[in-house]
Amino acid sequence: MALLEVRQLTAFHGDVQALWDVSFEVAEGSITTLLGSNGAGKTTTLRTISGILPPRDGEIRLGGERIDGVPPHRIVDMGVVQVPEGRKLWPNLSVQENLVLGAYGRRGRPERARTLRSVYELFPRLAERRSQLAGTLSGGEQQMVAIGRGLMARPVVLMLDEPSLGLAPILVDEVFRVIREIAAQRATVLLVEQNVHRALQIADTASVLENGRVVLAGPAKQIAGDAKVQTAYLGL
Amino acid sequence: MIETLVRVVEAFISALMVAGLYATMSYGLALIYGVMKIINLANAGIMMLAAFTTLVLWQTTGLDPLVLVVVVAPLFFVVGAVLEVVVVRRVSAAAPIVSLLLLFGTWLVMQAFANLIFGGDVRGVRPAYIDSVVHVGDVTLAYNRIFVFVAGAVILVLLELFLRGTFLGRAIRALAQDREACALVGVDTKRVSMVAFGLGSALAGAAGCLLTLVFPFDPTNPFGVLQLKSFTIIVLGGLESIIGVAFASFLLALAENLTVTLSRPQLENLVSFVVLVVVLVVMPGGLAALLRRRRLA
Repeated sequence: MALLEVRQLTAFHGDVQALWDVSFEVAEGSITTLLGSNGAGKTTTLRTISGILPPRDGEIRLGGERIDGVPPHRIVDMGVVQVPEGRKLWPNLSVQENLVLGAYGRRGRPERARTLRSVYELFPRLAERRSQLAGTLSGGEQQMVAIGRGLMARPVVLMLDEPSLGLAPILVDEVFRVIREIAAQRATVLLVEQNVHRALQIADTASVLENGRVVLAGPAKQIAGDAKVQTAYLGL
Repeated sequence: MIETLVRVVEAFISALMVAGLYATMSYGLALIYGVMKIINLANAGIMMLAAFTTLVLWQTTGLDPLVLVVVVAPLFFVVGAVLEVVVVRRVSAAAPIVSLLLLFGTWLVMQAFANLIFGGDVRGVRPAYIDSVVHVGDVTLAYNRIFVFVAGAVILVLLELFLRGTFLGRAIRALAQDREACALVGVDTKRVSMVAFGLGSALAGAAGCLLTLVFPFDPTNPFGVLQLKSFTIIVLGGLESIIGVAFASFLLALAENLTVTLSRPQLENLVSFVVLVVVLVVMPGGLAALLRRRRLA
């Protein structure tokens, strides 16, 4: 049984339908990626799973238990944690305050000292900048804080929304190295990425969204070999 | 010449003394605006109700307002929390004008209520030390003002420790900066908003309690004027830090006192509005923006 199951999810932004019967599964310990162009519904899917946007219809299950309709803070307590697009740090709090607040929920709080040490091991640069205001960091460092903050919650499933967006190539490498490490040691990963090539390299399975619908799904290798994906997303 | 100098020094010290009270009442407003992006026009009403509550408790128990603040502030935390759940939460998604009008209406209801119960007479709390003064050199200081300053400073230090040192306090600061990010780390944003509104109200309650020692009051005065002074202070000092609010409180009090000392007492209340208009026109970002610009230059 899949760890996270999304079944026929339908969601609206006001009166505008954003998702049509979106279904996919995330297996425990794997990296699953959601691909698609801007406006395809990837971020909306993550926001719906996080409980920020309540679904109109459909089911979301974690380990078999329904989590759709549950408020966002309770979903974090259940172990589903999102690292949002654009990082959404608190710019006037220090790096360390940003990270520690990541452990606000029930799962993270008792373990916060230990998790903080391990996040600083993962991102030594953040340890050096712990008392600096988050808003003064570079884009790459802010992304590290955002990922670190997500890890502080002790996630079962970590959802990353465009973690490499706007980063220099060397930092993109760093982000993908970290995602691999997270999947190997810490949490199951659900990855939304515009860097389709890199995402398909590290993912086990992939789903392609178009106009709010899943149009293609399967093992990442198979998706990478799909002729339509190659022309539409990989530029081959 | 010496005479004028002594009066200027007195104005400085007197400004410092009243700044504790100004900062307490203004920071409640700043806290609520920061977290909820709502201007709590009922702030003055809460201060007024707290002042009358203090009066009644002083008359019945004989306890000093400096002691009663320990009861009155938590009481108005509860009043604020209830106000948030019953009134404010319902309109938090609506246009700003809706909450503005609703809270203005709440203030008027509070005023009418106080008029009905207590009447329109001017009241005051006068403990035994009310007319006592201490002389430091040529400068004269009233005990009641010293006590109010110390109480205000203690309250703000405690609040700062809470906001920096606890999970709930940090969540309140974070909520002011990015609400959705808070939900994504497991903060119950509705509950924390309620706590923030309660805290802001508790500060207004504490200010209302303390001001009974310094100002005579009735259901309307001086609360309306104090409310407008709060606006000047948070526009000047910004919403981010207690230090900014405290410094702006001192500056406003100093401008008022120097005006009274060097010019006419009738101009005292005019100062606040002149400062408000000048700040909005010349440096809309307040002192913080001014400092940032200086640093960049």
